[in-house]
Amino acid sequence: MIGEIFSLIRVPVAAFLGGFLVVGGWIWAPQISSLMPGLSSAVSSLGWGGSWFADARLGRAETAPVIRNCIFRVLDVGREMKMEPSAAYLVLKAGSIHASLSTLLGKAGAKTEDLTFVMASKWGEMATCIYAQDDRELCDPDNRAAMVEATTKFFAYAKQTEASKPAISPSDASVIEGFGDRLLIALKNHRGYGTLVAADFGSFAAPEITRIMREEKETRDICKR
Amino acid sequence: MYLLKRAAFVLGAIFLGVNLLNYFVLGNTGDYLPGGGRMGEWKEAKIREACYPALESPERDGSLPKLSNDRHRVAWQDLTSAIEMTAAPNCYLVTHPNAICERNNRAYIVDYINRYFAKFDEMIDIAKRYGEAEISTVRDLWDSPRNRAISAALMQDTSNGRLIKADFGWTTPTAMKLMLDRYKGTTDNCPRA
Repeated sequence: MIGEIFSLIRVPVAAFLGGFLVVGGWIWAPQISSLMPGLSSAVSSLGWGGSWFADARLGRAETAPVIRNCIFRVLDVGREMKMEPSAAYLVLKAGSIHASLSTLLGKAGAKTEDLTFVMASKWGEMATCIYAQDDRELCDPDNRAAMVEATTKFFAYAKQTEASKPAISPSDASVIEGFGDRLLIALKNHRGYGTLVAADFGSFAAPEITRIMREEKETRDICKR
Repeated sequence: MYLLKRAAFVLGAIFLGVNLLNYFVLGNTGDYLPGGGRMGEWKEAKIREACYPALESPERDGSLPKLSNDRHRVAWQDLTSAIEMTAAPNCYLVTHPNAICERNNRAYIVDYINRYFAKFDEMIDIAKRYGEAEISTVRDLWDSPRNRAISAALMQDTSNGRLIKADFGWTTPTAMKLMLDRYKGTTDNCPRA
């Protein structure tokens, strides 16, 4: 009897689930991506980012207090323009999507390379600014999500600039390298402080991040009161 | 018989799937409001278009929701929604107080009231993660002069029977329940054509 019912319902259920996933996925995908800031370097190069596994540790990057302190140092919206920091952060993310799409669409030429470099340096500036705040700021889930997203995006764009043809100028390359070195030191410190763990970056993080998270050990937990 | 059963399951699944998509994905929650003589077709509501100008530049209206401080965790999208979702019902209920008497308008307005309170609840739920200060920031945000005018209009409309519990069906917002119960059985005072 149960087998008969199962055989009866499995086709419509499968059809419904399939249809629901396709239509629902199409509509909800942007919201799902915002729930998982820093999913992977590959995915984040498309303007997304986040972790599948560390929801409790990661909050919402756009409302992070560190974003309030850093976003207008990175993004110049002009003095007359009054903009909410979370809106400006979305503008930066939208810029990321544009850069990724241009690359995906194979629009070769200096413009795309410039855009990728600009995005890498913007996210590098953002991450550097966040790391320059008090170490304990990263105990806040929103701040931590912002940090993870900025770091992940920086390394994703840095990788793209490395692979870009024609290659970026040596001076631009050294700018990216400088950001990369500073961020790796900061990551190492925060791994030791316990403010960042491997799970925060998900399973598909950039190799540089994964290596530090794996090799470094937590020496203390500065978030514990 | 077997084929009939199978066809019934397929049709049932399609019906269920279509309705779930319509409600949760497309957000046409107004399709599921109770019918009857008082409620018309929400898609035909004239008040919707009549209030478009009120939504054009909400930033110019100083009485709409504003954040009381810079230290908040309200996302820009939520802030924009709070402003728009206040400007719209303010127009439907306060600027055009008799609009709710028309059946189609009533269906649309009831659906919008549901969304209005759902958005407030959603923002309060997010604020709860950050503690009392954030909850009070969100409450202050939703306590602008326009929000207070909407509350007064809702009280007025329930007290004179223009809005009754049956209009909301199973979707009655918690904030409205008390008001609707209090004035249960009131007949509406809408001007008769």
